[in-house]
Formats: sequence, C-alpha cells, structure tokens
Amino acid sequence: MSRPNPFNDSSGKETTCLEMLQAILDGDATEEQQQYFREHMDKCKPCYKSHELNMQIKQLVKSKCCGSHVPPDLVEKIKSQFNSIS
Amino acid sequence: MKSGPGGAWASFAIIKSSDPSPILLLFLGFMEETQREKYTEKEKISVFNNEFLPHINSMYNFGYRLTLDEDDAKDLVQDTYLKSYRFIESFQKGTNAKAWLFRILKNSFINDYRKKSKEPNKVDYQEVESYYNSDDVDRQITTDLRVESLQDMIGDEISNALNSLDVDFRTVIILCDLEGFKYDEMAKILDIPIGTVRSRLHRARNLLKDKLSVYAKKMGYKNP
Ligand SMILES: [Zn+2]
Repeated sequence: MSRPNPFNDSSGKETTCLEMLQAILDGDATEEQQQYFREHMDKCKPCYKSHELNMQIKQLVKSKCCGSHVPPDLVEKIKSQFNSIS
Repeated sequence: MKSGPGGAWASFAIIKSSDPSPILLLFLGFMEETQREKYTEKEKISVFNNEFLPHINSMYNFGYRLTLDEDDAKDLVQDTYLKSYRFIESFQKGTNAKAWLFRILKNSFINDYRKKSKEPNKVDYQEVESYYNSDDVDRQITTDLRVESLQDMIGDEISNALNSLDVDFRTVIILCDLEGFKYDEMAKILDIPIGTVRSRLHRARNLLKDKLSVYAKKMGYKNP
C-alpha cells in the first residue's frame, strides 16, 4: 500500500530517484515532496548518500562563497552618482 | 520567494551609460507586460534606497563571482544601480526587486563586460541538453567523492572549484545555492527556459563535484 509519489506529474510516468533528488537540491520541492523524499531515503541508500553529499557541498558553497565584502565606499559612490543624474 | 502576485516583469530598456556609440536598446522581459509605473521623485528615491540598495551585498558577490575581479565587480554593481535608477519606471512595485536587479547585472555583464574579456563565450547548450538526457542516473548517485573528504576542505578549495567552472555553470550555482532563487526566477534572470535552468544546474553540480574530487585526491583521500 504505498501512497502515490507526490513528485509524479499528470503524465503517469514514475519519477526517478535522480529527478526527486534534483528537485530537492534545487529547492523546488514542496513540503509534501520533501516529506516523501525523507521517507524514501530511509529505504534507498544511494539517495541517502547522494543527498548527504550534495547538501554538504551546497552548505559549503554557501559558507565559503559569500564572503566577498562590498567595498565600503561603493554605496557612497553610487549614491553620489545617482544624485547627479536625478 | 516567488515574485509577487501577477509576477509581472515589465520590459525595460538598457541604455549603455558609458558607451558613446548609438544608444543601445535592449528590450527585455515580456513584451506583453509593458506597462510602466509612475513614480514621483520622492518615490523613486524611496524605492532605490529601500528596495534596491539593501541587495548590494548579494549584487557585489554576484558581480565578483562573474568577473572574478574586485574592480570589475565594483564597476558592474555601480553600473547596475545606475541603470536601475534610470529605468525605475520599468520596475513594478511589489515585484521581486532582487531578481530584477540580478537580471540587469547579468545583462550588463554579458553586453558590456564579457564582450571585452577574453573569457570564452557560451557553453554549447546543445551539448548540455544531450548530456543531460543521456546522463546515467548512477553517475549522480555514485560519485567517488566522499563526505569525509569534504570536511577537510576548510580553505579556498570550494571557492576555487566554483570559480573554475565555466561562467554559465557558475552562475546557476550562485543563483540557486547562494541566493535561493527558484527555477522560474532563474529562467527570467538568465533568459532561458526552465528546462535549461534545470539541466544546467544538474550539469553544474556534477562539474563542481568533479573538481572537488580532484582536490580530494590531491589531499590524499583514497576513493573506494
Ligand atoms: Zn532513491
């Protein structure tokens, strides 16, 4: 009695693990789909492992690639420039 | 973070500010949604200060990740804000200002910056699509990169790996993973169909993983 996969669209085609994983990673999954995928990972080791790895990369990208600091004079420069055209 | 109800993005025109050549008009967005907002001077300044300027950190980071140069990033951001003010009437109140700004920045990058730079242009999108379609599910699922090896990447490995990707792949990772844009927003920012956003992201993630697994190997991790 497995419930219908909420990732499936109206085409009736069964959504693959890869497609589910991508929707999750890309932030395109609904609450219901996320819940379904969490339960799916309990039964599907490849999905579990891939999800863990990919989410970690995503986290690392977030923590390591956001650090460029705006030069302090940039806002002032922009403001003065736009004062001169407004 | 969907764009507001109606989600309408007005078309807007960009006039190159620094280019003495005949005015270049780029009509962007959805031609059927060409209504322009009316703003008083006071409103313009308020929108600029309250809706545009707060995104300057993200904008600068995006500019930097595109150009990989601090001065170029500065110029790009400055130029983007100048354009955002000049074409503020094309910005519809209540819609997603950040996505609108990102789109201007990305277009400025392509039209003004990329033209001058030596960066090789464009990925072969045909190739991207076919890669995606023929992609083996197992490739995504079984990679030789392991979580444990990532935990030691505390230096610049991640940033370097990202920067080493082709700019089109770098861009989708930034938009999705750093800025949290949704498929439909990325499609509008990049002027590509949603299906292409999805396949490009997929390919970008695999390329990033490949780079990281090269680093992992260098760091001495044995792969199974
Ligand atoms: Zn699975």
